[in-house]
Amino acid sequence: MKNKKTKAILTSNQMIIVYIMIVLSILIGTKNSAFFDFSTVITLCRVALVTLIFALAEMLVIVSGGIDVSFPAIACLTLYLPVFLETKIWKIDNVVLIFVLAVVFGLAIGAFNAWMISIMGIPPLIATLGTSSIINGALMATTSGKEISNLPASMDALYSSYFFTYTAPSGMTYSLSVLFIVPVIFIILTALLLRKTMLGRGIFAIGGDRNAAKVAGFNVRKIQFFVFMAVGAMTGIAGVCSCILARTAHPTNLMGSEMMVIAAVVVGGTRITGGHGTVIGTVLGVFLIALIENNLIMMGVPTYWQSFVVGLVIVLGTSITSLRAKKIAQSAKV
Amino acid sequence: MEKIKNSIKNMDNSIKTLWLLVIIVLVIMLILDAANFFTFQNLRSMVFQFPEFGIMAFGMMICMISGGIDLSLVGIANLAGIICVEVVLNLNGSIGFVPSAVLGYAAALAVGALCGLFNGFMIGYLKIPAMLVTLCGLELYKGLGEAITTGPALTGLPDAYKLLGNGDFFSIPFVIIPFLIVVIAVSFIMRSTVYGQQVYFMGTNNEAARYSGINCFKTTEITYMISGILGGVCGIIITSHFNSAKSDYGTSYTLLTLLIVVLGGLNPDGGKGKVSGVLLAIILLQLISNAFSILQLDSSLKQLVYGALLIGSLLVNIMRERVALKRETRLAAAKE
Repeated sequence: MKNKKTKAILTSNQMIIVYIMIVLSILIGTKNSAFFDFSTVITLCRVALVTLIFALAEMLVIVSGGIDVSFPAIACLTLYLPVFLETKIWKIDNVVLIFVLAVVFGLAIGAFNAWMISIMGIPPLIATLGTSSIINGALMATTSGKEISNLPASMDALYSSYFFTYTAPSGMTYSLSVLFIVPVIFIILTALLLRKTMLGRGIFAIGGDRNAAKVAGFNVRKIQFFVFMAVGAMTGIAGVCSCILARTAHPTNLMGSEMMVIAAVVVGGTRITGGHGTVIGTVLGVFLIALIENNLIMMGVPTYWQSFVVGLVIVLGTSITSLRAKKIAQSAKV
Repeated sequence: MEKIKNSIKNMDNSIKTLWLLVIIVLVIMLILDAANFFTFQNLRSMVFQFPEFGIMAFGMMICMISGGIDLSLVGIANLAGIICVEVVLNLNGSIGFVPSAVLGYAAALAVGALCGLFNGFMIGYLKIPAMLVTLCGLELYKGLGEAITTGPALTGLPDAYKLLGNGDFFSIPFVIIPFLIVVIAVSFIMRSTVYGQQVYFMGTNNEAARYSGINCFKTTEITYMISGILGGVCGIIITSHFNSAKSDYGTSYTLLTLLIVVLGGLNPDGGKGKVSGVLLAIILLQLISNAFSILQLDSSLKQLVYGALLIGSLLVNIMRERVALKRETRLAAAKE
């Protein structure tokens, strides 16, 4: 009995990602011994910070049986507009207000998405693609692609506050931003939501079978509204974080990141058809993709091969999860 | 006269909306800048532009009717274009331009077909949702193209290569010819072949289609292969238009083709849609795009308008369906 359980854990999706990461690390390490250093961990955390928040939000949507490709656009809007309002119009300097505004804008756009999808019945991909191009078009047309580079001082202060600073043997210093607390909080909150609350059960239920969930007494519309608005709020915060880390408010910098995030979520074992997914898997998926993206050069892969390699990893990852799902579905019938 | 009245009455709702939108755009342009818009020169410049994304839209159309979607078309087009240009660049010197161009075109179509077959295999055999497969495919094909070109655009093509995209014969652009061939071929396939009927059936109800003896895997493979080949054709035209090849040309076409097919009256869930609707939608979007450039508006505004049109047209369709449903139930109640 106990043996079976360990076997199940050792062959689970999460463990497979861990194995791949270990093999990759050894490969990178043999090419470049500087890889086996604490600084790598800090770099990875810094790279994955914003992606983690995006991925957790996207996981919620995918588990609920939908998809959201508008989150990069939402993030662009929620990082640009509050900064613009504070620096150009109100002339005030308050980082908390920026976060609050970002969340409010995010919630509003999320509610609009939810209205189209849940009440009007437009397919999620097309609805969010539409939102995305409306927001992006509006941002580009009004800003003509110009960034705001002198951020409020309170945002810069947040940029230069660290948990700790590590000095590598080579003399380089690596610092972990305090903002890393944000994804950590979201990881804990999402895990609690999905595991311990009725709402979380409902998200799984409508992703698995919407009609069955309805019959079982879940308010499908309410849950869908919650999910898409949560995505809006989370991406709002992620947008501001990325703005602080980049030290500039750029209206289109984050566009095009949706593919990587969806890939990380799916590679992490979340089924794209909904109803299955874990927080740990998603986190591991994000770190796996960050590891690959960040270290391809160290492994001697030329830069122009990078998109292909990342694409290949995504295709393999999704095929493996889908094949496993297919196998489970077939074995259940016997 | 009676006949025309009847044909208008029997027209599809979505096609009615499209005609209305076309007329609105024409009227707006008539008011704002008739002198530049209603000229032969402008018509000619429009004909040079729309075959690129128009052909792509037909690939998207077939996939969407079958109940799937093909977001990888732009990736396929660029990859096929790059292969085509590579072949021409390498063989031009030794065997002359025309044979090398023919070989290049054939290679591009083959690449498109292969990419499509790969998509179809993942969707039909491994049962991974089409949206995910083709989204991954986009990344994969784009990456492959980038790896082949090592980043910058491939240039140095002979001048004759750009004739297809930029040349004309008595001011009729050559590029309209492949477009017309595609329109005729696609409408023939969808209307008059067993395969076409199977695609509609599969899109309406995949399960029922399978039980009625349709080989869904084979139909899916053919669907995505056709879409891939159309992507290849589009790739040839794009490279000819720019007289170079790169892995990120035409990135805005994904949204554009999706918008075209939805405006053209396709149901995103599959099973519904006509070539005539898509054709009209292509013309409408070309008119809008042209109006933007003639009025010298910011091109990013175009994206905003496209997004709003996409959502707006879907909302209108859904509202109309709901009203029709209500009326039917009311009628049924009255009968009783």
